[in-house]
Amino acid sequence: MAISERQRFLDICHFKRTGDMCLLAPWLNDFWVEVPEVWMKAGAPAEFTDTRKMRDYFGFDHIRLMREIQSGLLMDARMDVLGMEYVYAIPPILPLYETKILDQDEHTVTVFNAGGQTARVYKDDPQKMPMYLDQPVKDWATWKEYKKRLDPATPERFPADWDGYAARMNAKDEPLLLNVGSFFGFLREWMGLEPLLYMFHDDPALIDDMMDTLCNLEIECINKAMDKVRVDGATFWEDMAFKTGPLISPKMFRRFMMPHYKKITDLLRSKGVDVIFVDSDGNLNHLIPLWIESGVNFFWPLEVAAGNDAVHYRKTYGKDAILGGNIDKRVLMKSKELIREEVMSKVPYLLEQGGYFPSIDHFVPPDAPFENYLYLINTLREVGGLPPLHQ
Amino acid sequence: MAWDSSTLSEAVREGDDGETVSIVKAAITDGVAPIDILEEGLVPGIQQLGDLFKDGEVFLPEVLISCRAMDRGVAELKPYLATSEMHKKGKIVLGTVEGDLHDIGKNIVRLMLECAGFDVVDLGVDVSADGFVQAVKDHSPSIVAMSALLTITMTNMPEVIEALEKAGLRSQVRVMIGGAPITREYADQIGAEGFAEDCATAVGEAERLVAS
Repeated sequence: MAISERQRFLDICHFKRTGDMCLLAPWLNDFWVEVPEVWMKAGAPAEFTDTRKMRDYFGFDHIRLMREIQSGLLMDARMDVLGMEYVYAIPPILPLYETKILDQDEHTVTVFNAGGQTARVYKDDPQKMPMYLDQPVKDWATWKEYKKRLDPATPERFPADWDGYAARMNAKDEPLLLNVGSFFGFLREWMGLEPLLYMFHDDPALIDDMMDTLCNLEIECINKAMDKVRVDGATFWEDMAFKTGPLISPKMFRRFMMPHYKKITDLLRSKGVDVIFVDSDGNLNHLIPLWIESGVNFFWPLEVAAGNDAVHYRKTYGKDAILGGNIDKRVLMKSKELIREEVMSKVPYLLEQGGYFPSIDHFVPPDAPFENYLYLINTLREVGGLPPLHQ
Repeated sequence: MAWDSSTLSEAVREGDDGETVSIVKAAITDGVAPIDILEEGLVPGIQQLGDLFKDGEVFLPEVLISCRAMDRGVAELKPYLATSEMHKKGKIVLGTVEGDLHDIGKNIVRLMLECAGFDVVDLGVDVSADGFVQAVKDHSPSIVAMSALLTITMTNMPEVIEALEKAGLRSQVRVMIGGAPITREYADQIGAEGFAEDCATAVGEAERLVAS
């Protein structure tokens, strides 16, 4: 009898299916929004207008992030900017703010987005990462107003047909992931990085209150969701490191974040969920041991340019760490020889050890040629003993 | 209380802005030479902090609050110092390259450079090659510093270098680059003399460039 996608995912996470090449999508193997259009102009199939067909074209394995439950990062908030679409991610606030266009010049448009942020986006390409000009939380007064939008009991936080939704999810063969929020990442979205970093020093009680609020929101959402839905994994989003290290010190992580993580990971484990993912760009050398201590055990994207080495992490953390990514995106812009070299330098070892989901080390950028990406996928399939696609 | 430069350095290093300002004020009242307050107290404090950052002993929040303490200490001292005494390490023109709106890294590098005694002209974000050229004409810096977060915008860095060459200004400045996708190899490839891995190394690299 064929193994279910769900069981296969869990078995790989539990180091039981060494050598299995599982290219999970969306998220782990995913693309910046503008990629399909760029690739179709360069001769890729017209079916790439449909991202599901695009994923099938590359033979990806499915994972389902239950985005309909408003408990974590809302990744595809959309806003019309002078006829073009600005797609962005925001924390799980309800209700959302009413979007507005505030100003424009020759090249940019200043918008007020659904997350309460004021941002400058490009007119010709609203997908380029924006510049944030203002954030909704500045002090206790603005926080007290903002936190009203983080009520776990807001009915719209769960699909209206909750029982029906839960039944449909439970009937799925693919692994189901529940968003369990963020501590650092959301606070940065609310305040901006520099004001937040000052605030850790200047008003730690405000940081505590924000993190307590998030923790309570997530606990309520996990309890409600897991009353009806079987959950295979949980996912945090943090993006809390830069090129050479974390954005806060390990001491601050322990003081402010670890107690909240533990409450959530303990709750998840008490309900049988032991695959707990965190998405953070940047150099994770200092953070991975802290996350492991906090009960988090799945790390992606492990950016190579930021000094992450999945082989080193595997040797250091063994089965305490499920790893994803770490294939250097920059080789996609170079040559097929370098793509092969990059894959062969780590993927066979990591697959053999188990607990590894291959992908490049973040979303595929629009300057990556389509044929190089297809070559990467076929090189990975070759390592996994799978036949090549589209040759 | 007698002037003790190490107490001031410690206040800066610990990011204690109130204590920093208080020690600076007392030193001025006691007749300590303003340049000594700067060079023996404030600057060593931020240098020590930079070393701790490089060694992984402190992290970005500590850097920010120390820079703030330094900044407030310098503000107290400013009326008593000549501009030439404050910015004697040299002038740097700084910005993110065209198409790149990401200024967090650049802003922290600016703070660190200013704290280290450089006069920094911050051109902001999304600066065109012509913008950098004009800034070199206007400010005559020793260094042009550029940052980029994205692989698709780092390719604008060589265009700035080319524009400086075309304008006949290339020999007057050193070029230093940094940002998430930037490597020493890339700096060598495009002909930039300097490369900074992060905000702490940016100061040392700028000092190396002005000294060379």
